[in-house]
Amino acid sequence: MEQLVEDIKLQIIDALNLEDMTPDQIDNDAPLFGEGLGLDSIDALELIVILDKCYGIKLKSPAEGKEVFKSVNCIAEYVQQHRTK
Amino acid sequence: MGGAIAITGMGILCAIGNDRKAVLDALLKKESGIGPMRYLRSIHTDIPVGEIKLSTEQMKQMLGLEGEGPFSRTSLMGALAVREALQQAGIRDVSQKRVALISGTTVGVMDVTEQYFERMKTEPELQYLPHSNECGRSTEEIAQYSGLGNARCCTICTACSSALNAMMLGAEMLKNDEVDLVVAGGSEPLSRYHLNGFNTLMILDRERCRPFDETRAGLNLGEGAAFVVLEKDAPNTQAYISGYANRCDAFHQTATSQDGEGAFLAMTEALRKAGLKPGDIQYINAHGTGTPDNDASESAAFKRVFGDSLPDMSSTKSYTGHTTSAAGSVEAVICLLAMQNDFIPASLGWSHPIPGGVIPTQGRTGVQLDYVMCNSFGFGGNDSCLILSRACPAPQERTLAEESRIRVEARSVVSSDEQLPALKEYLSPMDTRRMGKILKASLLSAFTVLKDAGLQKPDAIIAATSRGMFELSTLFLEDICNNQETLLKPTLFMQSTHNTVASAIAIRTGCHGYNITYSQGDESSYWAVADAKRLLRLGEARHVLVCAFDEELQDGRTSAFQAETTLYTID
Repeated sequence: MEQLVEDIKLQIIDALNLEDMTPDQIDNDAPLFGEGLGLDSIDALELIVILDKCYGIKLKSPAEGKEVFKSVNCIAEYVQQHRTK
Repeated sequence: MGGAIAITGMGILCAIGNDRKAVLDALLKKESGIGPMRYLRSIHTDIPVGEIKLSTEQMKQMLGLEGEGPFSRTSLMGALAVREALQQAGIRDVSQKRVALISGTTVGVMDVTEQYFERMKTEPELQYLPHSNECGRSTEEIAQYSGLGNARCCTICTACSSALNAMMLGAEMLKNDEVDLVVAGGSEPLSRYHLNGFNTLMILDRERCRPFDETRAGLNLGEGAAFVVLEKDAPNTQAYISGYANRCDAFHQTATSQDGEGAFLAMTEALRKAGLKPGDIQYINAHGTGTPDNDASESAAFKRVFGDSLPDMSSTKSYTGHTTSAAGSVEAVICLLAMQNDFIPASLGWSHPIPGGVIPTQGRTGVQLDYVMCNSFGFGGNDSCLILSRACPAPQERTLAEESRIRVEARSVVSSDEQLPALKEYLSPMDTRRMGKILKASLLSAFTVLKDAGLQKPDAIIAATSRGMFELSTLFLEDICNNQETLLKPTLFMQSTHNTVASAIAIRTGCHGYNITYSQGDESSYWAVADAKRLLRLGEARHVLVCAFDEELQDGRTSAFQAETTLYTID
């Protein structure tokens, strides 16, 4: 699980162009959107691409991603349960 | 000065017909033109589209064009629509007239570029092709193919509101006696490029679109072209342009604000200019794309303008698909057909009301329409509204201040990598992380000018660019080629439209005023400055920011760039 969390953080940093950030600067439980990291609707779409590309998980709409993308830990749990690769 | 702006001719091609008559028939029969892909080549065959039912070759023949081309559908469709409009207006010889052809497009000749993109890198004989994003070229081709060779060409790129802005510019130029005759509208083909782009944004419905329905799941892209002939105080008048406005949502590049601020401002200002009350409007052709975001935001704006007395309203994108940059003129022509034939077009696909939302009309016949409103909203919050009237509007006082009262208050040029770190003074790294060099340079030059002038925000923002977001659009083309149209990056597409710079400045300064982007090769800046002066002399603005930007690429990445922002002020 720890490795998965680390992987997801690196994938987020890369896909969302968070160039100046390191994985330890992203809190596992902090909200990714709004007040936490401050991501927006385009980032949510990039996260959907990450899930598909890296883990074979297909979300149908950004609305479906809302619960999944609450925090890095939420994403990791969802990936663990639903990954197809 | 002044004078009523008459529409004396119109031409249209879209998914429901290749001319006015066919479009009218389909509207009256409530037949949608949205269906499976036939001419567009894409792997996404499950996505329904609103194609024009003509091959590129057929259009070429209809125009009597010779040669191998390649021919862009943008130019061919545009020329066919212009030809029909000129015929209706009874205009044969324009050699003695000052004519402007103003076209809205954002895809431009991308439909050609994407066919040859890979080969263009290695085959020198293809180097003459437009590499990407040269929207102005399609307008020049439209002029050439339709017998308007002597027209001054101007291209407006404000994404999905482009064609309405083209009609507005035409009206302003006529009112100022800058031209005798205007042909204005827009043309947009389907392209793999923007189909994939909208797909990355997850706003394409796999079914037919259902504007304002609770179950709506996105839009269907369509292609189309429509142009109108505008003249002042002409005898052969179909209808009049009585009010219009261009405002900016200044919220997000690809999302709309919840309260529909930009749409609200555009509608209220258009009503004010027309001297009308909301209750005078009998029919609204909504932007109504069918995306969850647009329809919620537009509904909120409707409630703010019309309260509980919304006039009959429909989205004809349920027939044509979303013809993006051409939507404004395609739908304005549909409004004109409705006015001339006494009917209100139905909104197709609607069955489930949005709780607390607005309800589109199922269509009516036998209604005399005196005042009609047409909305077009684009990426970057470029929101425009046009009002058409049956009767000649009352003359309005129009005075222009002396041009000598306009001065350059501040100017800034950003053209080297060394300058870019200064952007940190204005924006956080989080805010700039997606931006390419040209956007960073443009924002830095804009902020510098505002700081030098001691101004929080301008009253209007005008951009000028030949190739737009050249690097980003090339990266997205690469992404499409390298990954066979799957799992593409929305980040690349969302800032690849030409209007990205003008709307980014609006978003960062909170400027809801007039916002437009011109793209006409080397003449882009000319059009931008002329427009700034028009606004200032009319008293519509005191401070107008004009940002001219372009970049050169080497191996697909920015190798040289320049952004020059000028603040024009009237004393």
